[in-house]
Amino acid sequence: MSHVVELPVVAPPTPAGWTPPATTGQSIAPVVERKLIPAGPAYLAHVKRAVHQLSFEEHDK
Amino acid sequence: MAATKANGSADAPIEVSSAPAVIGINFGNSYASIAVLNKEENADCIANEDGERQIACAIAFHGEEMYIGNQAKHQLVKNSQNTIIGFRNLLGKKFSEIPADKPTNSAPVIQHPDLPDTAAYKVQVLQPAPTPLPTSKVTSAAATPSASNVATPRSEPTPTTRILTVSEVTTIFLKSLVQSAEDFLGRKVHGVVITIPTWFGDEQKKALEEAAKDAGVAVLQLLEEAGAAVVATTSAPRSDKDTLGEDRTQLVVDLGASGLELSLLSVRQGLAYSLATLSDHTVGGDAIDDRLIKFFAKEFTKKTKTPLTVAPATEPQDKRAEAKLRLAVEHTKRTLSASTGAATCSVESLKDGLDFTGAINRLRFDMEMRPIYDHVYKQVQVLASSAGLDLYDIDEVVYVGGSASLPGLDEALAAGLSEDVVTPFTAGTVVGGGVGDPTTLLARGAVLQAKLLATLGEGSAEEREVKAAFAPGHALQSVKATTRTLGLLFPEEGAENALGGQWVPVVLRETALPARRAVRLDVEVGEGARVGFEVWEAKEGVKITKEAPPKLEGDEDEEDEEEEEIETKEKTLEKEAFLAALTLEAHKARKVDGRLRTTLEVQFLVNEAGGLAITAVEADGGEKVTLAIAPAS
Ligand SMILES: Nc1ncnc2c1ncn2[C@@H]1O[C@H](COP(=O)(O)OP(=O)(O)OP(=O)(O)O)[C@@H](O)[C@H]1O
Ligand SMILES: [Mg+2]
Repeated sequence: MSHVVELPVVAPPTPAGWTPPATTGQSIAPVVERKLIPAGPAYLAHVKRAVHQLSFEEHDK
Repeated sequence: MAATKANGSADAPIEVSSAPAVIGINFGNSYASIAVLNKEENADCIANEDGERQIACAIAFHGEEMYIGNQAKHQLVKNSQNTIIGFRNLLGKKFSEIPADKPTNSAPVIQHPDLPDTAAYKVQVLQPAPTPLPTSKVTSAAATPSASNVATPRSEPTPTTRILTVSEVTTIFLKSLVQSAEDFLGRKVHGVVITIPTWFGDEQKKALEEAAKDAGVAVLQLLEEAGAAVVATTSAPRSDKDTLGEDRTQLVVDLGASGLELSLLSVRQGLAYSLATLSDHTVGGDAIDDRLIKFFAKEFTKKTKTPLTVAPATEPQDKRAEAKLRLAVEHTKRTLSASTGAATCSVESLKDGLDFTGAINRLRFDMEMRPIYDHVYKQVQVLASSAGLDLYDIDEVVYVGGSASLPGLDEALAAGLSEDVVTPFTAGTVVGGGVGDPTTLLARGAVLQAKLLATLGEGSAEEREVKAAFAPGHALQSVKATTRTLGLLFPEEGAENALGGQWVPVVLRETALPARRAVRLDVEVGEGARVGFEVWEAKEGVKITKEAPPKLEGDEDEEDEEEEEIETKEKTLEKEAFLAALTLEAHKARKVDGRLRTTLEVQFLVNEAGGLAITAVEADGGEKVTLAIAPAS
């Protein structure tokens, strides 16, 4: 996967006493409206995905 | 025309690209610049035939000659009434919309004698007499005994008044820029991207597009200056030394001649939008010049005992001297930007036939300019807070515009920004026309954008739709964006931070949707070979602590009561909302330094509605778990 960012991080071991908290049904915070600047390859990719109705994976190919 | 080699030369031509010729033009109100693609398809700013990379937006008429660029600007000293400047900002404006209050030292803007409510310039030119000579002269010559066979002299050119609209002036100017590019490339230019300021409305865009069309060049796009800056800064190849993430908050500081334009941008893997903008016309190169020429005028008076009052000047002699000083300090400022040594300012016959040579070093210059730097800094603070951000949230500063080349400005701003902030000065990309060079950045961004647009096809309906999405106000430019940072929290036994573990941000706040982000990291594997993490939304902030400065021992100076408090800033992070928890069984753990460790890949996919799909995989074919979180309904 070329889009994966390698992080120089070593996360700590999961504590034995940790129990995964139950999911609360919480969604991400409300989204806002913004106006993209129509420039650059990233904008072109954004437009191509939208116009050709492609997912990120489909567009990768 | 004598070439002035003030800012570069066209002597060492680069090898140019062989793709259809496209160019980028940075069209400022004071200066323009041109960029082309070199053989490697990278952007290069080129010099015109006079060796100028920063080409003054000026046109002057002198007798039968027309000057364009810096030579025209020099006509402001003795031929100001026939020298046209400042036309870019008048494009698309009706005459009645132009404030009439400002006295100019150039050709005044007038109402066109024939066209209703149209701004124009009136200049005196010499109309060359038609050749061959009129017959009447020939008749009289025939009556005289013929003494020689020398060609009959041309008759005198006739003085005439020429009226030029703002659009016509723009066309002449753009044509000369395109011509310079074509001379350089050795072939016709097919398309151009021209940069425009944020405040350009539909009328301005229409007028510029028409002027370009009249100049015989196809406009691929009128691109906002901030957009050109993004393209130029995000297309530079990334190196291992890059400390900047591909997701960052970018501050664009454009300090030109007449003003300051600030933009705070969210840049996410090259996809950008504006968080806030600000413009201020009280600072800029002109204001810098005001201070600098006052400084030199004072020196002149000190040296020669001749009074000289400039900025503003009232006496005609002083006005002339001011015009000369203004031209001369261009060189002084560029020297100050380029090197740390002292810079000179020389003017022949500044006043009363007296020559002047003065010098200023960077320290002194920065002292004189301190109020301007401080003003820019204050405006950056205003900008950040209008976006609900702190100066510490800025990851990168990009400088645009001639006056932003001054290192003192960067020093003044950097003092208030985070220590990790990347600026072209800290990165060392300003000097020698590097990628961060503020004077060429916009033109380079514009030509890269032109290259991209030139590749777009028009064969199918979909291709046409893709192309149309670059037009102003297209629906695809409207997006939804996240408002909080989404990330992973790896719980930790006895964690020292308030979060209770290791935080890994994945999708930053202000990321346009849909968005996909994936990270790969190592995790230590404890007993039971279980790897677990939580997904949270976090709230980022900046904690400011003010402290009285430490009292120096033996410091009994009672007078400075108002000692300034020392401000320290610290980035903070709080857990805001718990979204989910995931666990995997580690099958592929390996021993590193005697401890078990495995590699995890986690991907977040956020759709337009705000739905989140998480995929976590243990690298090299381990377990894969997925989880979906519905958007808020
Ligand atoms: N190397 C330099 N160091 C300092 N100042 C410079 C340098 N190069 C150009 N300038 C100054 O920058 C200004 C021109 O900047 P720029 O070309 O960005 O202006 P512009 O965008 O055309 O103008 P405006 O802000 O009026 O729209 C002039 O005042 C010029 O003297
Ligand atoms: Mg500008």
